[in-house]
Amino acid sequence: MTLPPIDRPGTVRELDRVPSLMALYAKALTPDPADVARLGARILPDALRPKQRTATIDDRHRSLPDVALKVRGVTANPQGLREYQNLLGFPRTEDLPAGYVHVLAFPVAMAVMAAPDFPLPLAGMVHLENRVDVDRTLTVGETFTVTAWASNLSGHLKGTRVDLIVEVSDPEGVVWRGVSTYLAKGTYTHGRGNDTGAAREFTPPLPTGSWSLGAGIGREYAAVSGDRNPIHLSALTAKAFGFPRAIAHGMYTAARALADARPLHGERYSWTVEFAKPVLLPEKVAVAITPHNAGGASYVGWNSKTGKLHFSGEISPL
Amino acid sequence: MPDTTTSAPNLQDAVIVGGNRIPFARAGSRYLGASNQDMFTAALDGLVARYGLQGEQLGEVVAGAVLKHSRDFNLVRESVLGSALSPTTPAFDLQQACATGLEAFITVANKIRLGQIDSAIAGGVDTVSDAPIAISDRLRSALLQASYAKTLGQRAKALATVRPKDLAPANPRTDEPRTGLSMGEHQAITTAKWEISREDQDLIAYNSHHNLARAYNNGFFDDLVTPFRGLSRDQNLREDTSLEKLASLSPAFGKSLSTPATMTAGNSTALTDGASTVLVANREWAKKRNLTPLARFVDAQTAAVDYVHGREGLLMAPVHAVPRLLERNGLTLQDFDFYEIHEAFAATVLTTLAAWEDDEYCRTELNLPQALGAIDRERLNVTGSSLAAGHPFAATGARILAGVAKLLHERAASTGKPARALVSVCAAGGLGAVAIVESA
Repeated sequence: MTLPPIDRPGTVRELDRVPSLMALYAKALTPDPADVARLGARILPDALRPKQRTATIDDRHRSLPDVALKVRGVTANPQGLREYQNLLGFPRTEDLPAGYVHVLAFPVAMAVMAAPDFPLPLAGMVHLENRVDVDRTLTVGETFTVTAWASNLSGHLKGTRVDLIVEVSDPEGVVWRGVSTYLAKGTYTHGRGNDTGAAREFTPPLPTGSWSLGAGIGREYAAVSGDRNPIHLSALTAKAFGFPRAIAHGMYTAARALADARPLHGERYSWTVEFAKPVLLPEKVAVAITPHNAGGASYVGWNSKTGKLHFSGEISPL
Repeated sequence: MPDTTTSAPNLQDAVIVGGNRIPFARAGSRYLGASNQDMFTAALDGLVARYGLQGEQLGEVVAGAVLKHSRDFNLVRESVLGSALSPTTPAFDLQQACATGLEAFITVANKIRLGQIDSAIAGGVDTVSDAPIAISDRLRSALLQASYAKTLGQRAKALATVRPKDLAPANPRTDEPRTGLSMGEHQAITTAKWEISREDQDLIAYNSHHNLARAYNNGFFDDLVTPFRGLSRDQNLREDTSLEKLASLSPAFGKSLSTPATMTAGNSTALTDGASTVLVANREWAKKRNLTPLARFVDAQTAAVDYVHGREGLLMAPVHAVPRLLERNGLTLQDFDFYEIHEAFAATVLTTLAAWEDDEYCRTELNLPQALGAIDRERLNVTGSSLAAGHPFAATGARILAGVAKLLHERAASTGKPARALVSVCAAGGLGAVAIVESA
């Protein structure tokens, strides 16, 4: 059995290997002249600030490049896998945790976003939510094909949403699919959407666990994931992007919840996460896992001191 | 080749003949510098002296420690070799967190019942004051790699990976590895779920201290405890504690929950050091030595719960073990003269009792037709328990067993009727062990 197919873009461009995230970040963080101009505008007093640019693009396929990027022969490195398993709390087996498949495949999605014809700025993108469907567990010796593209541009109160879709396939078909939803803050290509922006009411339940996340957890996750986004690395680099301290990587928190919820799901399952307030490091995160009678579990993480919601999600059998 | 197969032996009675422990000391105090081996050997020698076992070869000595140095891989055997027992007495280490002592007893009692051994000592020891401190995983990994290196260059390369922060010692962790919550925080969650009041918890603590003090004052422990390093009573015992004093303490656990925090240092067990033993034998062995069987081992049961995913409280496994044990033995929860429920926290005892009294819970979680019901609280921990005595993790089981065997013997002697006790010990990892003993 494989995952049911979904619409793919008309053209597929093949890359000879998974691109380096470092190079993609470097590209993303090199300001283009338009951004410099916008930044200049941002430090002006409100009255002098030019009106927010609100481009209107009515055709989804014109706004997002109708192309998917594809890399064949992707495989996991056993040492890298072990380090990931150690950090996230997965058992040290040959199985690739669903979160590790994300780590291996996601640079291809980053390359989609870093392409010159991608309509939204890569720097400062906010991860809103993530969904992964797992058809079967991949193992360390396998090679697979990664295909990634962008889809579903839509308006949001604070900017524009976009889905990055990443598929991992074996010769039979798609066995793992991730949909990562990002928000390009302050870039309005599709209006403001109908999201009221009201924060979800949250009352902390009784916890089932506690994560003491040290100041270095962002760096540790960067080391095992290769994702060296400066907002996770240190207070100094995070400040440059408007965060008071380094923040935990969303996929670290989601994958750790997935590890904690083991072995409640079967072989085929979906794993979702919705991010609320970022985790400012260091922090003690309270976590509650609630098993479902039909298998799977829901999970939620919050600041154990303030009670503010950080993330919530579900693991459900497919 | 034989013509017939061998047949199973008839079961024999395993009886508790006596016990001995050293007083329990508060961590970092009187027993600072005493090792697990020092303390367990002292407890063994006290038992040997009391029952005239000098130079005797016993069937087996089985005990354990929860916090153990790696060099103590044969802690119990080494203690036997250092004791007055015959050096030909076999021994082994066993560990089931706080249920270690009870599990050691179940193990030797079963061997005696099967006729594999005729006599044994079960026990446990723990010290927080002499706890192992390890080096960091990164330093350890570098040292191991360096030790396997074939050239100086390889060795230097392995050691070069060590960073200054890797040199910090790694203290033994007290949190549950899979949840990151301490045992106190776990119990605080269960306490909140069952809405156990501060007053009820303080009353359990108050009774523990006063029952233990009364037992000491009545001479109950005269043949159960041997002084050690100048201590002749449990150091944690507060004979003069009052409900007012207990009520004045600030909460220690559950402070980040949305419900009021009710667990304090007064109604939670203190970290303590100590060792305990219990002497178990078949009737014939006891008779030959003119020793009086005090209590007979009836049956035991262990259970485990899924606290990792919040399905059950960390310390609630005995709640699940007891109904299985009762059913197998055709007993109800009310058929006991004594209940020894280990006081990891006062709230542990209360959530355990509350669960057994809850119809809905017993039906859905324990698959019982109805609630097990309430117990007579006058029969609970009548000579005090861990809140007053302290709880050197592995030493608690034999402390309870030696005491309850004596209680059963006294009760049977005064009433002329058999007496029965239920022993329940919760443990880290969502584990629990329970046992039934009867007057012998």
